[in-house]
Amino acid sequence: MENRKVMVHVQNLKKNFGKLEVLKDLSIDIMEGEVVVLIGPSGSGKSTFLRCLNQLETVTSGTVLVDGQDVTDKHTDINKVRENIGMVFQHFNLFNNKNVLENITLAPVELKLMTKDEAKKKGMELLKRVGLDSKADAYPSQLSGGQKQRVAIARALAMNPDIMLFDEPTSALDPEMVGEVLAVMKELVADGMTMVVVTHEIGFAREVADRVVFMDGGYIVEQGTPEEVINHPREPRTIDFLNKVL
Amino acid sequence: MLAIIQNYSGMLWAALGKTLLLTLLSLLFAMVIGMIFALMNVSKSRVLNCIGTVYVDAVRGVPLIVLAYFIYFGIPAGAQMLGFSNFRFSALQGGTIALAMNCGAYMAEIIRAGIQSVDKGQMEASRSLGLTYGRSMRLIIIPQAVKTMIPSIINQFIITLKDTSILSVIGFPELTNMGKTISGNTFKVLQTWAIVAIFYMMVIITLSKIAKRIERSVNRGK
Repeated sequence: MENRKVMVHVQNLKKNFGKLEVLKDLSIDIMEGEVVVLIGPSGSGKSTFLRCLNQLETVTSGTVLVDGQDVTDKHTDINKVRENIGMVFQHFNLFNNKNVLENITLAPVELKLMTKDEAKKKGMELLKRVGLDSKADAYPSQLSGGQKQRVAIARALAMNPDIMLFDEPTSALDPEMVGEVLAVMKELVADGMTMVVVTHEIGFAREVADRVVFMDGGYIVEQGTPEEVINHPREPRTIDFLNKVL
Repeated sequence: MLAIIQNYSGMLWAALGKTLLLTLLSLLFAMVIGMIFALMNVSKSRVLNCIGTVYVDAVRGVPLIVLAYFIYFGIPAGAQMLGFSNFRFSALQGGTIALAMNCGAYMAEIIRAGIQSVDKGQMEASRSLGLTYGRSMRLIIIPQAVKTMIPSIINQFIITLKDTSILSVIGFPELTNMGKTISGNTFKVLQTWAIVAIFYMMVIITLSKIAKRIERSVNRGK
């Protein structure tokens, strides 16, 4: 781990929604290739933290560096930084007016990172990888939740991101579809992708996380390997939370 | 009644044509005005929000007939005070401006509602890929918003068509104005206005039918 570079550097991050303090002084470093899983009760600030990394939420104070670039700085071209940060949402957010392949090729072509043909080729490869190459011409409304989420992952990957953010990617899925999405995510882990995952799937965290971070009340309460945090938690709040969800 | 139709049918059709011309011109400009102010109203800038709100509230707060008088008589009078004595609008120009401003305010509200009906996640997903706000609007949000807006836009189209009759007050030779002329010439007031009403109905019922058809095909596409 020593020689790996820091992919995400967060220092004293604070985020308020009006008077409500959602993130209270949060600091964390995430290394290249690391898989960090954030767990914690709802309202603990996990999703907000994730959304601060690509500035879908502006931060109230603190530093957030992604790939060495200060995303909170007004002079940073945030769109350029976002090209390298893939994001997968709880509710998929596929573009409803575009078919599956167009969903994937839209951004790379619009941003002139690829020609139309290159993007299509790459799109089909990615669809094959998530097992949906037969659905290239389908529209999002014709897909199941699990299929939508796999397309959403392919869409994010088409940008060749350096890091992938997952915001509760399986929370809106029927139970029988959770497995197919987790399987795609596990493949990404095997490929060495840097990933930050907010999830309630403790089993997934235990299996693939390099580090598990337990958040509560806008703070990081405890972090460590899955063995440490999930199997041998030290903090009472972590123990309490795990008792409820396991 | 038949005599009126026989003697005046050419003029009635011509007047209907003027009505449609005024409607179409006004709608065209109203779409542009509506789009501009709708984008202002959904933007994050307080200043733009404020400009958009002021426009919509001001125009909706003034009866169309007053707006028409203001533009057609008021503005040239104002220009004269400033020393431009030859400045005048034609009835078509004045009518189009008044109707476009009025319809534009309502259109802005329709477009704003349409944009806001699109799930917020669509914009977030687009932005997360590195696309700008403008591109996200153009490629993702507005195409989806248009589908939900179509019925309201056609409804507004019909309202605007009927509102052209108000512009008879500034002397534009549209259908209602023609009705005044004919009833004045023939003294057959009941028959004249019945015919004028039927002319409006023909067009509007046709439009409603087309609207229903478009609405259905859009819904099928969903």
